[in-house]
Amino acid sequence: MKKIILFLSMILPVTTFAKLQVAATTTDLAAIVKQVGKEQVEVFAIAKGTQDPHQVEAKPSFMVKLRSTDLVIAQGLELESAWIQPLIQGARNPKLTGKDGLLELAVDLEPIEIPKGDVSRAEGDVHPGGNPHFQLDPVRLGKAALLIAKRLDELEPAQKEFFQKNAAAFQSEMNEKLKNWQERIKKSGVAEIVTYHKTFSYFCDRFGIRCNLQLEPKPGIPPTASHLLAVIDQMKKKNIKLVFIENLYEDSVGEKLKKDVPGVRVYRLPVAVDGEPGVQTNADLIERIVKAVEEGGR
Amino acid sequence: MHLKSCRIGMFLWIFALGLNAFAISAPNMSANALLLYRNSNFHKEDTNFTTPDQTPNGFDVQETELQFYADVDPYTRLSMLLSIAPHYTSDGTSVSEEWGIEPEELFAESNTVPNITFKVGKFKAFMGKHNTLHTHAYPLIEAPLANTYLMGDEGLNDVGVSAALLIPTSWFNEFTLQYLRGKGGNDEFNSPTPGEGVGLVHWKNLVDLSEDLTLEVGASYASGGNSYRKDTVLSGADLTLKWRPLEGGRYTSLLWATEYLTRTQAQADVSDETGGGLASWLQYQFAERWAATYRYDNLKVTNSFDPVNLPNDTWERHSLALTYAPSEFSSYRFEYDQRHGGPVNSNGDTTEKVFYLQANFTIGAHPAHAY
Repeated sequence: MKKIILFLSMILPVTTFAKLQVAATTTDLAAIVKQVGKEQVEVFAIAKGTQDPHQVEAKPSFMVKLRSTDLVIAQGLELESAWIQPLIQGARNPKLTGKDGLLELAVDLEPIEIPKGDVSRAEGDVHPGGNPHFQLDPVRLGKAALLIAKRLDELEPAQKEFFQKNAAAFQSEMNEKLKNWQERIKKSGVAEIVTYHKTFSYFCDRFGIRCNLQLEPKPGIPPTASHLLAVIDQMKKKNIKLVFIENLYEDSVGEKLKKDVPGVRVYRLPVAVDGEPGVQTNADLIERIVKAVEEGGR
Repeated sequence: MHLKSCRIGMFLWIFALGLNAFAISAPNMSANALLLYRNSNFHKEDTNFTTPDQTPNGFDVQETELQFYADVDPYTRLSMLLSIAPHYTSDGTSVSEEWGIEPEELFAESNTVPNITFKVGKFKAFMGKHNTLHTHAYPLIEAPLANTYLMGDEGLNDVGVSAALLIPTSWFNEFTLQYLRGKGGNDEFNSPTPGEGVGLVHWKNLVDLSEDLTLEVGASYASGGNSYRKDTVLSGADLTLKWRPLEGGRYTSLLWATEYLTRTQAQADVSDETGGGLASWLQYQFAERWAATYRYDNLKVTNSFDPVNLPNDTWERHSLALTYAPSEFSSYRFEYDQRHGGPVNSNGDTTEKVFYLQANFTIGAHPAHAY
């Protein structure tokens, strides 16, 4: 009996303090999980910061990682629909196959740009539930932290207060920085930006910048010569001098714009944590973009 | 199962009526259409009323696939893939076109069993790498010679059961056991002995050599009774290197795959028939919408039991294709194949030269990014 108790006393601490294993589909979500879970959670990101999350391949090595994962956190709204289910199925992990195994966040974060009427691929690779790229909005990031904490609580009720406190701290940090970012953007005087894809929509919406012109003629469709001419025409008419190209995309389009639009400033920017050296947190990422707005407005 | 065009039309109409109700619980539905123009010095179907060519020259619908999958309940998911394709028949004086619809795959898989996926139904057997691909995902328009001539037009595809175990190692290490009836279109088996099916094992390994580069190595073996009351044995090996950089992977990637497949058939009192072939292809994506593919494949057959359809010869083929994909949901491919050896055409030509133009369209659920 003593041996059994000794054995249990040896393994129980391990069991009690085993870290939750979380997979995040993007580096942005992984960064939030790190803030919420801290030392109680181990997290890895499937899509890297320099990868287009629409285009990730279902590499079997991710199935191996998902085999011992307790939870997958995704942005949702079909951003990862081409690869997340094959990965989960390939992992053969019963924890993930049920509804509770996959937490999709964007649907609960008041998505914008929800297409009206019939959704057709004639409009490109549209997301019927709305734009999934909320990672550049500090307010939604804060709310996402609360949603993540809620699900982590369910998996590890003993750490409920810990997760809630960390999520609240993250949300406060985001809200605090928001004021500073809003002031700086207002001061920059930038009113409209051309972007490659609709990755910046939530950022623009939050900071009162118009981002209605995209270099893609339709979502997921590479720029065409005729569309670029139309964009250049609009830029000249509206006197738009700032272009943001997500660094997932090649910059040859930017070079063309520099030639054809006098005085234009083109920035290739990260749109995910780890998207470039030095961008290690969600705040770093937004700070990087706010600085680009400031520079572009000078 | 072959139905007349009107019966297929009625089937699709009834099917479409049911889609709306079905869609709520089963959103994963898609359809794929392959349209093909072929110009070959071998395909002269109009002159042969006894055995009409099933792959004639000219414009044709190569195949249409309807795919559905959804969870049945918390424990099981069901996948169904229906293939609709034209079929050519002859009344002795003229060739007519008929349309056939058949379940290319229809299987249920376990959803909650740890480490193992159990599967039951009709499915593409895990015999090598290419055999598991659907037509619209082929790297080139035709399957490798060894796949087509040693396992049939549809490959090794049969009703059976499967268990795929993910072995707990640090790399992807999967061991699959399958048992098939050995019936249907699988002429290399079809044992007349009741209950004599086909056993198959496959071992797949995939290692990340770096974040940009993966190496996949697989081995397959299948054995079962054949129609000569002896055994047919299939074995194969495959190796794939895939490179897609984390930065710029949208615009450039490279894949090199090589597969070897061999078949030995036995019958009483004669030497075993042997056939074996290699296929090696290189696919280079050089721009966001463009990719070029080259493949070399061969097949060597000795002691053939059916020298008319499977001549004792060494066949070799070179294929070169250029693919343009305006979006994830459509692509156009121009391909040139040159084959030497094997069947001879009505003019006595021993070299087949084929030009293809293929259009590939998908509607419905977002296609999964298979690796």
